[in-house]
Amino acid sequence: MDNQDKVQKFDVMVIGGGIAGEEAALNLAKMGFKIILVEKDYSIGGKMVHLSKVFPTLDCSACITTPKMSETTREPNITIKTYSEIKEIEKSGNHFIGKIIKKPRFVDEDTCTGCQLCEDVCPVSVDDQYQYDLVGRKAIYIPFAIALPKVAAIDLDNCILCGACEKVCPANSIDFTEKPEEILFEVTSVLIATGFNLFDAGKKVEYGYGRYKNVIHAMQMERQLVPTRPFNTVLRPKDGKSPDNIAYVLCTGSRDKSVGNPICSQICCMYSIKQAQLLMGALPMADVTIYYIDIRAYGKGFQEFYQQTKDMDVEFVKGKIAKIEEKEDGNLELFYEDIENGGKVKTAEHDMVVLAVGLLPNNEIASVFKDEELELDPFNYIKQKDKLINPALTSIDGVFVAGTAASPMDIPDTILSAGAASAEVAGYIRSLK
Amino acid sequence: MKEKIGVYICHCGSNISDYVDVDKVRDEIEKINGVVLSKTTMFACADSTQREIKEDIEKNKLDGLVVASCSPTLHLPTFRNVALRAGLNPYNYIQVNIREQGSWAHSDDKVGATDKAIQMIKAGITKTFHSKALEPIKISALNSVAIIGAGIAGLRAARELAEVGTKVYLIEKDSFVGGRVSQWGKMCSERRAGESLIRRLYKKVEEEDNIDLFLNTEIKKISGNVGNFILEVDVHPRYIKDNAKKERLDKLIEELDPVVNDEYNFNIVKRKAIYKNYEVAIPDIPVIDLGAFDQKSVLVEKYKDCIDLNQKTEKKELNIGAVIVSTGFDPYEPEKGEYSYKENESIVTFQEFERIIELNHDKEFIYKGKNIKNIAYIYCVGSCAESGENQYCSRICCTRTIAVSTHLKEDNPEIQNYHLYRQIRTYGKQEIMFDDALKGGDIFMKFDDDDPPIVKVDNGKTIVTINDLLTDKETIELEPDLTVLVTGMKSRKDSKDISKILKIPVGRDKFFNEAHPKLRPVETVIDGVFIAGACQGPKSISESIKSALSAASKAYSLINKGEIELEPTLAKIDSKVCDGCGECFDVCPFNAIIKVENQDKIIAEINESSCKGCGICTPVCAVDAIDIIGYTNNEIKGMIDSLLDVE
Ligand SMILES: Cc1cc2nc3c(=O)[nH]c(=O)nc-3n(C[C@H](O)[C@H](O)[C@H](O)COP(=O)(O)OP(=O)(O)OC[C@H]3O[C@@H](n4cnc5c(N)ncnc54)[C@H](O)[C@@H]3O)c2cc1C
Ligand code: SF4
Ligand code: SF4
Repeated sequence: MDNQDKVQKFDVMVIGGGIAGEEAALNLAKMGFKIILVEKDYSIGGKMVHLSKVFPTLDCSACITTPKMSETTREPNITIKTYSEIKEIEKSGNHFIGKIIKKPRFVDEDTCTGCQLCEDVCPVSVDDQYQYDLVGRKAIYIPFAIALPKVAAIDLDNCILCGACEKVCPANSIDFTEKPEEILFEVTSVLIATGFNLFDAGKKVEYGYGRYKNVIHAMQMERQLVPTRPFNTVLRPKDGKSPDNIAYVLCTGSRDKSVGNPICSQICCMYSIKQAQLLMGALPMADVTIYYIDIRAYGKGFQEFYQQTKDMDVEFVKGKIAKIEEKEDGNLELFYEDIENGGKVKTAEHDMVVLAVGLLPNNEIASVFKDEELELDPFNYIKQKDKLINPALTSIDGVFVAGTAASPMDIPDTILSAGAASAEVAGYIRSLK
Repeated sequence: MKEKIGVYICHCGSNISDYVDVDKVRDEIEKINGVVLSKTTMFACADSTQREIKEDIEKNKLDGLVVASCSPTLHLPTFRNVALRAGLNPYNYIQVNIREQGSWAHSDDKVGATDKAIQMIKAGITKTFHSKALEPIKISALNSVAIIGAGIAGLRAARELAEVGTKVYLIEKDSFVGGRVSQWGKMCSERRAGESLIRRLYKKVEEEDNIDLFLNTEIKKISGNVGNFILEVDVHPRYIKDNAKKERLDKLIEELDPVVNDEYNFNIVKRKAIYKNYEVAIPDIPVIDLGAFDQKSVLVEKYKDCIDLNQKTEKKELNIGAVIVSTGFDPYEPEKGEYSYKENESIVTFQEFERIIELNHDKEFIYKGKNIKNIAYIYCVGSCAESGENQYCSRICCTRTIAVSTHLKEDNPEIQNYHLYRQIRTYGKQEIMFDDALKGGDIFMKFDDDDPPIVKVDNGKTIVTINDLLTDKETIELEPDLTVLVTGMKSRKDSKDISKILKIPVGRDKFFNEAHPKLRPVETVIDGVFIAGACQGPKSISESIKSALSAASKAYSLINKGEIELEPTLAKIDSKVCDGCGECFDVCPFNAIIKVENQDKIIAEINESSCKGCGICTPVCAVDAIDIIGYTNNEIKGMIDSLLDVE
């Protein structure tokens, strides 16, 4: 790096500001380390901040994760860079050096008050990715209600440059000329907490996601069940009718070699059961049927939660869905092998189908490591080199991994994994001294 | 009295505003004297709102703050912090819970929920009027941790803490380290025996000067408080002299016959009265089982260079800043007659099965003289019960059974495995093992929750019958050479003692309870006491290690600064009023009330570092000498009046 004064120095770089990254950064900060937390999205919070309620306690997810988020931003030992991308990381002696690009959001983070006046005047409307396309948003927008930082951003791909927002902004925060900022860093250790990708439901063509309007995926159902839900109730996308016979298709994109993902995603059984319980509350008259291969209610309190859900008359049918067909009225016909009744192929009609999509590895970060290879495991998750004894260790000395970047897992397991990673990072840094 | 109070009423998305008319609440609150500002907000906890509150406090010079939102357990620290940043004492902030105690509780009655919210906020405002500025109590913290249980979790946590410079007292009840993991054979993901894993960890522990290992040691009592606990332990003797030579000890053991059931091997074999758990147990020093050893035996004299029967239990006190409990679990023991257990020697539990494999040194798989070819595994024995105590899933047994059975089959290709299961729970990447077992020709049969298999013993033969859901409920009869009951995990028999001493709450499943099941899985409600490994709930080895490392990070973050801040909301005794009657000494669950002499009379005084501010002592005091700071009689009375609209 040519300009040494510009280099920002920290003890640890945490990549990813989901629950894993937040927990690990907070642990390490409390041990006295200086942390830089790099998040590629506009806001920290990861997937958890978008969930409705969490199994098996049914705590409101936003309610328990926002204190963590604000604690992270308040912590003096943590510097956060949102909407930032790591360009490269290279080992240099006992340190890692590299470059971050902080991308322009065209709105000044320090002065924007989050008043949303700009949203009102923007004439553009596109699908809102944070609501998983259930509703629209503007080209200038606050990512979501509890985003942190709660600051607007302009999506230049869709912006028509009319300048309406610039005129209305009371804080004069809009700046179309903002340029990407380059940040050079030097850190002692790197912790990867980049989370997971959701399986793309459209890849399971036989289920018709994208073609049949009343087939949605589980994250879209999460959004319909959150307290700040867009429609204030659960609706069928096709006609806005309230559904009364909902089916869940478990293992969509998991335990399925045909889509290249033979492993179990570990959370979809439980989140489906959770959603079924929430649906029983939101739509008391509706029937819910869950089509499963095995119900993986393995964690603390899970089996009891599953049992309770059965007692609430949610129906569980052992059978893998072979295909789904749409009927004229938008209802859906599910073809399945009824395993517990002789394995005959049967059909069932439902008016809405939720695909319990699984987790896929998010390993794009591997490509930023320049001199040494960050190895992946056979399922393309970041490889844990010594899984039993040092669960956060990766193939590069000084680089650690936490949360769903290493394997599918639920929130409590993610917290444990982040806790373990913090201990290992701390041990590693001490060992250099 | 405060004069300028700001009140914020939160929508909580729609969690509150769906049932509570927040605008009406605001209009009512606005009218109260002393309230200079009253606002509603979508998310009070959002960063932008926090910024807004801070600015409001500064601009309006507020001397009291009320946020009516969710439970204080969630956001009390958040808003106290906002107050602090704005220069307002955090204890002049009062949170009113109109969500859990309002909107959620009364979702069937919007008008009632709104009225209740108004009254509750009025009470909160009254409390704010009375509130006093307080400073947290700072106490010193020792950089030392006691870890109870030297199984895989305890060993791993010990090593980690020692590496970052914390003094560790590793306390083990048994005479050897390693806990349950040393009992298991090849591990699931790697074909590595449990004992070699323990050996690897122990090596590090041995090298660390920062770790003191206490074997044969029981915890007896804990006193003090977070940062400064005193843990009293009994160190029991091994009855082996420190300088005993290994060759002589080996000779001594050779002269003995196996006489007692070997608990380490789940009683499938017998052991000697002087023994090691296994050949290469750690440490490599035997122990004398005094109950089984003939103390008049000639060996006592013959081996007096090794044996010392006069060794006594030693009492020790350890000064520590925090405690990690990693006491592990017990395998489930079937009731007598459950699946005909104990009615035939070919019906064994999974833990027995593991030891049978470990102790089998034949090329073939021989048990009780019989060459084993067909094995039936019955899953969920003692787990996933429809009713009773063991309704939970033991998490690891599906994977473990599949792993052990396929390894066994790889070594003995003639073996046929029959898995009689409820749901196969090889979650995550473990799914591959299930897949491999299927490919390898293992047979899986599924039973209904309310129709488990039946095991009968007939003429020395074991007959297993299942109505298999996978073949249209066909009734299938097996006559396996060995029937393995896949027993799950239970909380340890002696975990009651531990929870009593350390005051850790236990759940319905009898495992130790964490402070919050989602976000605080290794903390407990007792400050400075952490839980790691399977004592919190069933876990695999790697999951136990993760929780052990997490507990180590939490303990270290707590004590590493040498100082801990405590809440100042504690009991206070007015020395002028107290007449020394002593009623309060007996009721305090934390022994925080001490007797002191004050102008010739004995009166009660609070030990601030032990008091938790629970308030139990206030009502028993006949002369009203005790007040809880932050919840004084005055404040509480004022709040009640406001709730009832008494002027
Ligand atoms: C539909 C659904 C429902 C669920 N319900 C529950 C539930 O009820 N209970 C439960 O316990 N769990 C539930 N989960 C699981 C839960 O979401 C995960 O366990 C948790 O989000 C994992 O956290 P994480 O931090 O590992 O990953 P993530 O939440 O994915 O966070 C990763 C973060 O890293 C950022 N990032 C990614 N790549 C980069 C990069 N290259 N540079 C910088 N930053 C990057 C991302 O933007 C994101 O902010 C559910 C999951 C789904 C899909
Ligand atoms: S958790 Fe359940 S739904 Fe998800 S992949 Fe595993 S078995 Fe299928
Ligand atoms: S892990 Fe499998 S065998 Fe064990 S209790 Fe759970 S479902 Fe039953």
